[in-house]
Formats: sequence, structure tokens, C-alpha cells
Amino acid sequence: MSDLHVVFEVAGASYALAVECVRQMDSFSGATRVPGAMAHVEGIVSVRGRVVPVIDLRTLFGHECVPPTLDTRIVVVERGARVVALRVDRAREVMKLDPEQMQAAPDAAALPARGFVRAVWLVGARLLQVIDLPKVLGEDENSHENYRHGFFDDGARDRRALPG
Amino acid sequence: MSEGADLTEFVAAYLVETEEHLGVANSQLLAIEASLRKGESNPRALRETFRALHTIKGLSSMVGVEPVVEIAHRMETFLRDFDREGSPLPTRAVDVLLRGVRAIGQRIASLGSGTAVAPPPQELITEFDTLGAPLPQDQKPLLDLDLEPELLAKLAPFELAQLRTASEKACRALRVDFLPSPARAAEGFTINSVRERLAGLGEVVKALPLAVPVSTEAPGGLAFALLLVSDAADDVIAQAVGIAPNAVKSLLARSLAVGVDPSERALPPELVEDERPGPRQAVVRVDVRRLDDAMERLSALIVTRFRLARAIAELGADGADTRAIQQVMSDSARELRDLRAAIVAVRMVPVAELLERIPLLVRGLCRHTERAVKLELEAGNAELDKAVSERLFPVIVHLVRNAVDHAIESPDERVRRGKPREGLLRVSCSSRSNTRLELSISDDGRGIDREAVARKAGRPTPASDQALLDLLCIPGLSTRSTVTTTSGRGMGMEIVKRIVIDDLGGELELVSTFGVGTRFLLRVPLTISIVDAFSFECEGQRFVVPVSTVEEIVEIDAALVSYSPMPRGDQPRVGIIARRGKAIPLLMLSELFQLGPPRSVTAKAIVVRRAGQPLAFGVDRMLGQQEVVIRPIDDALIRSPGVTGATDLGDGKPTLVLDLSQIGAAYAALEVAAAE
Repeated sequence: MSDLHVVFEVAGASYALAVECVRQMDSFSGATRVPGAMAHVEGIVSVRGRVVPVIDLRTLFGHECVPPTLDTRIVVVERGARVVALRVDRAREVMKLDPEQMQAAPDAAALPARGFVRAVWLVGARLLQVIDLPKVLGEDENSHENYRHGFFDDGARDRRALPG
Repeated sequence: MSEGADLTEFVAAYLVETEEHLGVANSQLLAIEASLRKGESNPRALRETFRALHTIKGLSSMVGVEPVVEIAHRMETFLRDFDREGSPLPTRAVDVLLRGVRAIGQRIASLGSGTAVAPPPQELITEFDTLGAPLPQDQKPLLDLDLEPELLAKLAPFELAQLRTASEKACRALRVDFLPSPARAAEGFTINSVRERLAGLGEVVKALPLAVPVSTEAPGGLAFALLLVSDAADDVIAQAVGIAPNAVKSLLARSLAVGVDPSERALPPELVEDERPGPRQAVVRVDVRRLDDAMERLSALIVTRFRLARAIAELGADGADTRAIQQVMSDSARELRDLRAAIVAVRMVPVAELLERIPLLVRGLCRHTERAVKLELEAGNAELDKAVSERLFPVIVHLVRNAVDHAIESPDERVRRGKPREGLLRVSCSSRSNTRLELSISDDGRGIDREAVARKAGRPTPASDQALLDLLCIPGLSTRSTVTTTSGRGMGMEIVKRIVIDDLGGELELVSTFGVGTRFLLRVPLTISIVDAFSFECEGQRFVVPVSTVEEIVEIDAALVSYSPMPRGDQPRVGIIARRGKAIPLLMLSELFQLGPPRSVTAKAIVVRRAGQPLAFGVDRMLGQQEVVIRPIDDALIRSPGVTGATDLGDGKPTLVLDLSQIGAAYAALEVAAAE
């Protein structure tokens, strides 16, 4: 495992993800909505012919959803047989991070984050949060519990109110 | 890095190949067991099992899976003694051997999934020591076969046994000599073609090459003595070999005692080269991912064609003459269809292969449940897309398990009810059309007690088999174990339904007569990737729906739609339209999907059938009809009732493929839930 990490931004905060999990990064101009999906599932996009879900990390992390801009990216991650796209505000850097300097996320911060953040890195003046991929992808059954809605009555109602 | 890739490739090939050999070992062991039950030995099956294990051992040592090598080696050495002596296995041995095969399978599966391979099970390995050695078959002086001693010496004990016991099967043991020559080859008689033809008439036990004096008939100084067991008449056999009928000799014509010097005994099996000239057809084993890849590329090509067609249409709209290019486009459409058919054909696997694993399953179930079950399998020549076949297998396992576990009564109970002691389980299939496979799983067990099921589900007694099936498929019903003991069914039926109907787009039917038996009928598409579909638009979002699911597309006259009262405003409204004098419900897709504000007017409606009843879905406008490549939506995050997949209409963005009758069903379920 190399120490290379993709660094991306969501609602002003920086997050890091090991490059091994990342298949590719693409610009983003919108997804096809899937009725009945959870609020943070923006829809589906086609990545090299494969249909993959797009998770809007803004929504998942409790920020308001905004229309995509030129900076908006999807970070396509791979985990076992699954391929999922994460929508982020921007993703521009790949950084080499020293594992020695990784710190566990302080409880006071980790608990409200419902485990989405596993650890933090302090790089100079910057703080990078390490996301817990299985949690974000909903592999831990409870992590998306709060977001589950009934058939047809989904959180997309809120999304519709948005411009664009 | 490249080394890693090669190894992965190699392991993948190993997994495929060993799976095949494990399948052979399993089915041959079951054949041995069946023979033993009849008091016969089955030396040929024993030999095949031996070979399969030998191959697995060889492959495994190349990959370095030592535990597998060790198990296979122990099994192989155990079998070798019996093979050499041509003596029957002890009955208990089959069981131990099957466990060995399973132990190997588990370890190979671990290797495949990248988890640690368990060490060999020592108990099992030592258990082989307790099974005893073959009784030395006495050197019976009944070497009564009319064969030259040097030929006799080349026959393995099991082959001798096969020839000697031919009469037990109402067959004769025969010998024909074939002399290959260019002249005969020109007439179509080569050793291979002769063998093939003889194999159609009986069993070719051995083909022994002989040195003969060079002559015009045998310019190479070579002949073959073909020893076979057959019930065909002399002239038929003679014709197959292209010789005179009187040249067909019976091996048991006269009693001739020929002693064989024990030192000239048959060579150990591994040294006996199988000189069979490849009766197998040229088969290429391909990783299914490569086929997917080819399909993927084809799909891209089809999408590109859509784009091209669109661009041409735009040119045409601008006034350009596109007639010549339209001709080319229709040629290309045809060629794409042919290419698609070719790739689809490559992906097809025989259904027989899918059903091959059933006997082992039934055997295990019978042991556990102390049932006596006679299994009848009938796969015919039907073929199925590999992907469909893989998804269908768990369903078959499920239904078979239910039949043995719950439906078929214990032997005593059966006798009390005047049924044969042995229950009958039949799994048969046929491809009714070019697109669908029909699979039937039936038993003569106790049938389903409708009232008991209804009681457990807390619903009224279903009036029809279809209603009963709907009841059985209610999620959660399965958790009440009492249902399975009283009704015989129910265990996980919702999973069966999900795979057959939701995942594969197939149909499920049930016929059950209480006390007499149950039959499940599955109709599934042979392949699931490309369909003819209508595309339409709703609030600016495009969707497609397979043509095969649509009954009709109707114009809607807004003035003639009425809405049923909706006491609670949070539910999508249901309209009513008249179609040919009949009122049918109308659901607004944009409301169901919350695509926009509620509207009372839509221009068109797509009519489908759900549970036999027509149901209309209002949409904004129809866009057209085209072949679409359906890509599965397999991630749990985007699975949604009624959405069966996604396709690309040429804009690079996925478009949802809908199953409207399923949406109708989900809506109905919602209504029911709300009403309760």
C-alpha cells in the first residue's frame, strides 16, 4: 500500500482517500434520478459502460445540496465487486501522507459524524479527514438508517426544490 | 505487477477447470452408489472418478494448494487399489469420498475468494485407512474372451469385466478390425469416424492398435481391433466400420481358456495412455468476464449507432438527402443484430450442466430428512445464458430443497397414504420459444394446505393457486417455521419470486393439490441483455419500457379521465379511463415518481397487465421504439421496485428501464399497507 491519497473537498472541509480505492475521477454534470432511492443517492451515472450509483457526500454529511459547478467531481471508488461514485465539490490533489502521522478522530468529532470519519491527518496547517469507505457506501447496515424512506416517498422531494 | 496478473489469470483458469473435474467426481460417485445399490460394481465410473481426482491433484500442485493436493492424493491412492483390482468399492466409501470432494471444493472456493485455505481434514484422511482394501479378485480362469493373449494383456480388469458381463445387459461383446488406409479415408472411414459411429451403436470398450503385415488394405501395416459392447446387429455394425458383416466377431463365441501370466497384468492405470482419439469436440473454456467484455464492446457499438442515426435524422431534418446513408444504416443494424446473436450464442450453457448438481443436493437432503426420493431430471438440449443460469441456480436449489424437506412425506407416511414408498421429484425443462425457458419442478408429496397458509398469514383462504403463490411470497411469512411444517412450503419463497420475477423478468406459476403434489413452473428469458423497448418522456425525464410488457399505448382525452376520491392527500391519485367499454385504473407516473407537481392531464397512457388486470400509466409523450442494451442495476443503493435496469439512448447518460407492472404491484402493496 502506497501512502498516496486523493484529497477532495466537501462543503469546505478536506477529506482523504487512499488511491488504491479510487478507480477514476470525472467531471460531473448530473445523474439520472432513481425513484425510491435514499436522499443522498443522487442517481446513476455511466462509468465506462457500467451503471453506478452516485452518493452526494454533501447530503450524506448533512450539508445542503447545491447544483453542480465546473469544479464538481465524482470520485469513482471500488470496493470488492462494488463500484460507486462519490460526488464532491472539488478534487484536485494527490498527496503523499505519512501513515505515522495519522491520528484517530477525536471522539467528540467522530460520534456526531456517525463514524463516517475514521481518522485525521494534520499536514502543516491543513486538516484532512479520512473517510470510512464501508460506512459511506452503506455496507454497515445502520449507517444509512436515518436516510431510509418508504417506497416513492423519498428524500428526493427536497432535491427537486433546488434550482437546476 | 505483471506476474501478479498472470497468476490471477492462472488461478481463474484453475478454478474453472477444477470445478469441472469436481463435478465429474461427484456425478461419477453417485453413479457408483447407484450401481452398488443394484449390487453391481461400476468400474468405469470408478476410473473416471480416479482420473478426475488425479487431474485435480496435478492442477492443484501447480497452483500450490497443498491441502487440496493432500486430500486428492489420499482419495486417489485409495481408489487406485480398487481400480487395479476391478473390484467394487465398499458402500461406505462413497460417502467418505463425497465428503472428500466437498472438502476439496471448499478449499478451492477459499482460494477463489482470496481467503485462507484450510488445512486438510486429518480425520477424513485417516478415515480412508478404515475403509479396507479391495478383496483381491481371484485370477478367475474364465478368460473366456476370444482374443489373442497379447491383446488380452492390454485390457484393464474393468474392461475385461465389461466385456464379460455384456450379456447381462442384453448386449454382445464384439470385435471388429479396422484397417486404415488413404483409400478408406477417402470413403469417409477413418479410425475416428469409425469410433464415433460405433459409439453411437454401443460402448467402445477399447481400441487396440495392431501391427499387421503391409498389404494393399493396410498400407501402413497398422490395424485397430475395436472391442465393443453393443446390442446392434452384425450388419449394422459392419456398415458403420465399412466391412463385411461376417467380419464382426463375437468375443464370447467359443470358450477358450487362456491363462494370463500375472506378470503380464495390466499396466498401472496412470501408465495406460488413453489412446482415445479425442472424442471431445474442440471446446474453448472462456472466463465469463471476457464474454461480458465482448458484449460490452458490442453494446458500445449499438449506442454509437443510435447516435449516428440521430445525427442522420438531424441532417434529414435540415433538408439533406439521406436515402443512401439510410440504406447503409439498415445494413449495419442487421449486421449488429447478427453479431449480437453470435455473442449471445457463445454465452449459452447447456441447462443439463446447471441441473448436474441437483442429484448430489437431493442425496444430501434425503440423508438429512430420511426421505426416499426418486429424482428424474430432464434437461434436453436446452441452453441458457450463463448469467441467467447462475441466477437461476439458487432458485432451483430452493424449490428442490422445499420439495424434499417439506413436501415429500416420510416413507412410512407415504405407504400409509397409499403412495409409493419413494417420493418422486421431477425437474424438467424445455425451451418453448427462442426467448424463454420453461422449467418445471414437481413432486408427488403432500401438496400445500391453503387454509393452514392463510391462517398463518392471517389472510383469507386463497381461492386460486395464483393467489396462494402470492400469499406464499409475502416477505416475512417464511419466518414462521410452522408454515413450513404444516404446509410444506413457504421457506424463502419471496426470494424465489424476487429472482425469477424481479431480477430475471420471468414468470412463476404454482399448481398444488392438497395431498397429491405440487408443481412449480418457471418461465425465464434465455438471455437478459438486449430488448426491444419503447422510450417515453415524463416531466423531462426519459424512460424506457420493454415492448414485450406493454399491452397497448392509448391516447388520453383529459375530459374523459375521472379521479377516484382521495381522502388522504399524500397518496398518488388514481384516475379511471374507459378502454373499449371497460374502466381501467390510471396512475400518473410523474406523480408516482414525484417528478413534478401533480397534474391531471397526460397525453398518453401505457397499458400493461398486472395480475391479469389492465393498468394504465400516464406519460407525457412517447419518443419511439428501439433496441436497447439493458445494463443491470446491481448496487443495493439504487435498487428500486419497478426499475429493472438502465440503458443508454445515445446521450451517454443512463436511462431507467421500467417494469410498469411491478410498479403497479409496488403501488398496490403500498395501498394495502396504508389501508391496514
